[in-house]
Amino acid sequence: MKSKNKKLLDQKISRRFLFLFLIKGIAIGAISWRLFDLQLIENQKYKKLSDGNQFDYLIIPPERGRILDRQNRLLAGNMDGFSLVLKWNKKINVDVILKNTLSIISINKKDIKNFNLQIKTMKNNYPKEVLITKNLSQKDVSRLAVRRINFPEIFFSMSKNRIYPQGNIVAHIIGYTGIFSKTDVKNGNVISVPGLDIGKRGLEKYFDLQLRGMFGRKRNEVTSKGYIIDSQIHETTISGKDLQVSLDMRLQAFAFQRLEQGNYNLISTDDKSIKKQLTIQKNNKYLDKKYVYTNKKNRIVSSESGSIIVMDIDNGEILCSVSTPSFNPNIFSNGLDIEEWNKLRNNKKSPLLNRSMSGLYSPGSTIKMAVALAGLEAGVIDYKTNHFCSGKKEFGNNDFHCWAKNGHGNVSLMQAIEQSCDVFFYEIGLKIGIDRIAEMLKKLGLGQYSNIEINDKAKGVVPNLDWKFKRDGIKWQLGETLNASIGQGFILSTPLQLVTMVSRIANGKVSVEPSLLLKKTNRKFDLLNINYDHIKFIKKSMEQVVVGKKGTARNYKIGLKNNEMAGKTGTVQVVGISDLEREKGLLKNEDRPWKKRDHALFVGYAPVKKPKYAICVVVEHGGSGSSVAAPIARDVLKNILNV
Amino acid sequence: MNYRKNKFLKESFLNLFLSKLFRLNWVIVFCVFLLCLIGVAFLYSAAGGQWNPWAKSHLYRSIIGIGLMLLIALLPPKFYNNLSISCFILGLLSLLFVKFFGQGSVQRWISIGGFNFQPSEPIKLALILVLAKYFDNISKIDLQKVSTFLLPIIFILLPGIFVVTQPDLGTGLAIILLGIAILFYIGIPLKIVFLSFIVVISCVPIIWNQLYEYQKNRILVFLNPQSDSLGSGYQIIQSKIAIGSGGLFGKGYLLGSQSRLNYLPEKHTDFVFTLISEEMGFLGSLILIFLFCFLIALIMRISFIVDTVFAKIVVFGVGFLIFLYVALNIGMVCGLLPVVGAPLPLISHGGTSLITVLIGIGLVLSMSVHNKRI
Repeated sequence: MKSKNKKLLDQKISRRFLFLFLIKGIAIGAISWRLFDLQLIENQKYKKLSDGNQFDYLIIPPERGRILDRQNRLLAGNMDGFSLVLKWNKKINVDVILKNTLSIISINKKDIKNFNLQIKTMKNNYPKEVLITKNLSQKDVSRLAVRRINFPEIFFSMSKNRIYPQGNIVAHIIGYTGIFSKTDVKNGNVISVPGLDIGKRGLEKYFDLQLRGMFGRKRNEVTSKGYIIDSQIHETTISGKDLQVSLDMRLQAFAFQRLEQGNYNLISTDDKSIKKQLTIQKNNKYLDKKYVYTNKKNRIVSSESGSIIVMDIDNGEILCSVSTPSFNPNIFSNGLDIEEWNKLRNNKKSPLLNRSMSGLYSPGSTIKMAVALAGLEAGVIDYKTNHFCSGKKEFGNNDFHCWAKNGHGNVSLMQAIEQSCDVFFYEIGLKIGIDRIAEMLKKLGLGQYSNIEINDKAKGVVPNLDWKFKRDGIKWQLGETLNASIGQGFILSTPLQLVTMVSRIANGKVSVEPSLLLKKTNRKFDLLNINYDHIKFIKKSMEQVVVGKKGTARNYKIGLKNNEMAGKTGTVQVVGISDLEREKGLLKNEDRPWKKRDHALFVGYAPVKKPKYAICVVVEHGGSGSSVAAPIARDVLKNILNV
Repeated sequence: MNYRKNKFLKESFLNLFLSKLFRLNWVIVFCVFLLCLIGVAFLYSAAGGQWNPWAKSHLYRSIIGIGLMLLIALLPPKFYNNLSISCFILGLLSLLFVKFFGQGSVQRWISIGGFNFQPSEPIKLALILVLAKYFDNISKIDLQKVSTFLLPIIFILLPGIFVVTQPDLGTGLAIILLGIAILFYIGIPLKIVFLSFIVVISCVPIIWNQLYEYQKNRILVFLNPQSDSLGSGYQIIQSKIAIGSGGLFGKGYLLGSQSRLNYLPEKHTDFVFTLISEEMGFLGSLILIFLFCFLIALIMRISFIVDTVFAKIVVFGVGFLIFLYVALNIGMVCGLLPVVGAPLPLISHGGTSLITVLIGIGLVLSMSVHNKRI
């Protein structure tokens, strides 16, 4: 009985043992599979997580490349700055430290706001370094350094601040940098790195990637409690590449001042009568100025606004591009104050606008060469074409006036350009037709975006039959052709387009494209495809504008014998003149309100024998092209040619 | 067996001693020794390449423990058979003592002469012994009767409930599982198994309500570790990262970044397997698991060889105990099971569990040495 029982038990035990053995096998199998899954299949994922635990990567922004002019003068560089950093940990009282710091130095409100935000959004309690401000002056540093012992939690670190030594003189072309915005991140322009500056405008924006360089990374090994036990450079930073531009700072500075001055006088603020005026006016605008401009009556006037562009007609390099009024780009480097920004934006004279490339103006008489070229090319006029100018042309129900009230009498093509006879161009404009004029204008660079290395540029308008119909759904009126023939009406162009036009005429062979880069090799351009004899004739006419007895710019010669400058003036009406006003007699330009004064334009090139430089001057509401724009152009050209 | 009555006591005692040493299962001893050394090596690594505080003490404890194991192996099973009931009662008393006079907020420890002692570990051995003794005179009891199993179930539940309410859910469940496995092994009718299974399932909501907040948390976090990545889930997430990042060959000895930088919690006790996995990779882990399986298989083989039911149950119990430890521990660290707090036998730093396992293996060796059939 006993042994039988035992035998049964043994059998049972064996069966049960086998069952348990199976369970154990399944358990071990499950564990092994789990390990296989974790360590081999999902290995990469966990490796990444482990690296993320082990290492803390700090991005080191590279030093931004400099921008230099053609003579290697510094246009944009970096200045060592001091940052104030808080060594944060759980135990310190941030508010007290900040309060004590603020009692010694002042920190701008925006930085404090950012700092508080950083403290608030801290994810864990690990000790770390938090940036308080990037804009610490030398004075602040020494003040704090003396009291260093009271602020063990605070230390300084070096940083780089963008600096523009030329200030407002080239502000529009160089642009400025600023802290990236959310849209920049969304557009994929930039990875989100605190404290990173990116180009916001001008060349800084266009060449941002090149100037920015490559980020480096520092790799810290951190424990689970956040202590750094090892630190090494993981990826080295690659500094941004320097950029050399074609601008000539000497010329640029001269042109800037010359444009601001216009026909006014430059007087020091130490002058007695000026001081008196300043105290009476209580005008803060001139408080920190060392000099002011005065008109003939010795009254303080604000400087002229407008644009000057000088371009090399052979390779298209822009030697100077001035736009006034301007702004100081350095104010953007240290975190722009919102008040200052609004002041700039709401300024009626729009200092932020780059007039050279984004300013749109009716070109006025400056396109008369193009109209003449269109006629010559089409064969509807020739060198001998004559028209009689009586001072106006009656067309339909309207009178189209010439600027010369009493007319120019019988004028040939060359004389018409020399004296800028409007009636002559009304007549030939009708013969040529708007489409041919538009075609020639486009050939010469108007009505299209140029390839210049600036993002913000205007396209301008070159109207033709289609354009009008598409825009308004109305047929083109012939009267509008008359207006277009003298560069009024719908036509709009930027100074850059005008200087391109002159360059192409002066070059005569290829369609030069403007560029801000200093080209080491010769650039290749498309052929211009205009009969060179016609070009020669037009150039001769432009020369007559300056050297001719009746030339509109005859008073402003640069003084080289047989090698003058050539050009074309333009005076653009800003407001229409009614017949009533005309009969009453026109008000003198200076007597009209500023906004209603004419724009003064001049385009030209020099020297005539072997053209090298093309220029376009626009003085907003400056008066007549011949009396305001031409002398500026002459002085700038004299400056380049060292006359 | 009755060597005490031998006339040539002195001479034959030496003979007996030598013959017993000869009959000792040295493969098991070697296996145990190897596992203890692996423990020392990785505790050395856990301390960042230093003997203190864990590797040195583990080495000393291992040497003492193995000595104790050999000593136990030489004593006859009869001795343990007689001791079993008093051991069990002593164990229960110490559990009660811990319950009322225990150290710390979680009452698991008794401090005796500077040594901290965790009675929930040796109670497992006492349970094995007392169950073995109960079923030893199997001829007198009817295994088909439900009433036969009443007393064993009380034996199991008493320490189990004590430990669960310590509170130490992991060890308590391990004790109960161990008991159930032994009952199953000995041939409890399947209808009882199914019945109790249904009872347990229906008790789950009641038990759930009895659990402490942190125990509930652990189970919830186990079900979804990401729900609390810095709190309770932190351990298991970091453990999985460490294991996963080990790859096939591991990061190298002393080079585990997770452990070196303190991301691994409890890397010297419950999570020591994670450290080994991180530094030695999948291959190293498999070798370790294989070593444990080998040890368990050796022990289980003995359970077939021995003839008494007492010996069978003791050997099976100890083998299953080691299996439970290993499965619970590794299952826990790789996220298959909730974090219940089970050490890896022979490797984790912790005196009580190490000595318990070594004593258990000593018992197994004793059963094999004194087996008549060999």
